[in-house]
Amino acid sequence: MIKPKKDDEAAELEISPSAHNSRRNFLKGLSIAAAACSASLVTGCLPDVKAESGEKFALQWKEYFKKHYRLMTQQEKEETVARLERLAKLQSGLDLQISTRAPRENVLYGYAFNITRCEGFMECVAACVKENNLDRKTKTQYIRVFEMKPGQLDPSTGDGKYFHEVPVDNKFYMATQCFHCENAPCTKACPTKATWREPDGIVVVDYDWCIGCRYCQAACPYFGRRFNWGKPSIPKEEVNRKQHYLGNRIRPMGKMEKCTFCIQRTREGKLPACVEACPTGSRVFGNLLDPDSEIRFVLKNKKVFRMKEDLGTDPKFWYFID
Amino acid sequence: MNISAWFPRWLHVSPLSVAGLLIVCFFTCVGNSIAVEESVLTRIGQATNPYDTTAVESVQPLLQETVVAKEKDQRGAFRVLARKKFIERYPCSSCHNGKPVLARNGEALTHGTVIIRHGMEGNGLTCIDCHHQDERNYLENKKGEKIDFDHSYLLCGQCHFRQKRDWLGGAHGKRVTYWAGERVVYNCTTCHNPHAPRFEKRFPATYSPPAE
Repeated sequence: MIKPKKDDEAAELEISPSAHNSRRNFLKGLSIAAAACSASLVTGCLPDVKAESGEKFALQWKEYFKKHYRLMTQQEKEETVARLERLAKLQSGLDLQISTRAPRENVLYGYAFNITRCEGFMECVAACVKENNLDRKTKTQYIRVFEMKPGQLDPSTGDGKYFHEVPVDNKFYMATQCFHCENAPCTKACPTKATWREPDGIVVVDYDWCIGCRYCQAACPYFGRRFNWGKPSIPKEEVNRKQHYLGNRIRPMGKMEKCTFCIQRTREGKLPACVEACPTGSRVFGNLLDPDSEIRFVLKNKKVFRMKEDLGTDPKFWYFID
Repeated sequence: MNISAWFPRWLHVSPLSVAGLLIVCFFTCVGNSIAVEESVLTRIGQATNPYDTTAVESVQPLLQETVVAKEKDQRGAFRVLARKKFIERYPCSSCHNGKPVLARNGEALTHGTVIIRHGMEGNGLTCIDCHHQDERNYLENKKGEKIDFDHSYLLCGQCHFRQKRDWLGGAHGKRVTYWAGERVVYNCTTCHNPHAPRFEKRFPATYSPPAE
């Protein structure tokens, strides 16, 4: 561990052209001062450097220089997770468990949604918000449920703002979220490669590598991505402490986020929160590479379609009818 | 006409090599456009080996009580959520035992709260369409066989055979908590009230703000 560096910080800031007024000494002092200043600036804690504990500053400093998730070794992943957990403990007193569970062999996640069964109760949306630590202030939601008239198949023409007793006669309900495209346009739009498709098919974001340019949001034809305009506000007792580095860990301000098929749950063998919460069984989730899985049964035996299939995005999210 | 006259002398290339280069370029371009990543449908079609879901080590035993189903799905045996514990006055024989009861207990002992809204598109169902007339701890199918309350799908599937087929395969109903591990699914009566199986109208759990 790095010991608290309060004194060093102060000392470095006071460095100035000293007794030996040589050019070399001056430049040396200047560069050290610049490094110290930039350190304070990038961590955004210049005014309260003294007030912060040295440990927190050291952790934040180290966090700033970590690698892209895909370039980290397992040890580096464990180190950054340990730092993030400690930082959360220091900043908000939360005991988090951040996982870096890798994808499983021979698993490709797929999703199916039954538009005949869904009755618009929106339990999925509520469960998703809780599970994924979504911002309560701006009411960020990954899932959007649309109330549709018979014959309508484009959710953008449906009513996504309904709030009345459901189901309404002669209406059907259709939910959208990130479709985890196999040929995902968002990953191609990202200038920093901060978003990519994992081998198990989940499209993820490295929140610490995202620069918040929102190109991916513009590239997504399904309105699957959300942006953190502010720091997410979640009541402390409602924070889901079981997190994944690429999943529901609390996002910093100005980062892109999206549905991750609840990566923190699915990689542990669990169903996503929306599937577990659905009271009508409209949501089917499973391994597309397993011929005996539920999702494969749906694909084989039901009338299925994908949204905007003509775009060639190859989404792994099917709608089906009974 | 001499084609080599088209190329400046200082290039030192023969028209033949240029043509060769063009052909190579053409094939790499075409090759690249064909070799775009294979569609997910192709991958699915090629995946024919069953995945051993019981090998997923992070699956924990369920807290709910389950029973082995008396039917087979595509994998073979599976489990369903047990039901009897949730039936308020089970075993039914504690009242239905032929002993006389006091008239003043009548209100508590009869099933006045049960309102049947099942099969209303026809003549509607009565109690003994599903419940065993003599052995009240059991249900009864149309062949006159006793059916345990934990295996109500055997009864419901007589009329709702499409739903049962989908339920066995996984397109109706749902699994409990895990996509991996031994398959455990919800029983018919875990979600549906057998006396009024259609879900009641209610307000949604939340609402969505207008899109950005």
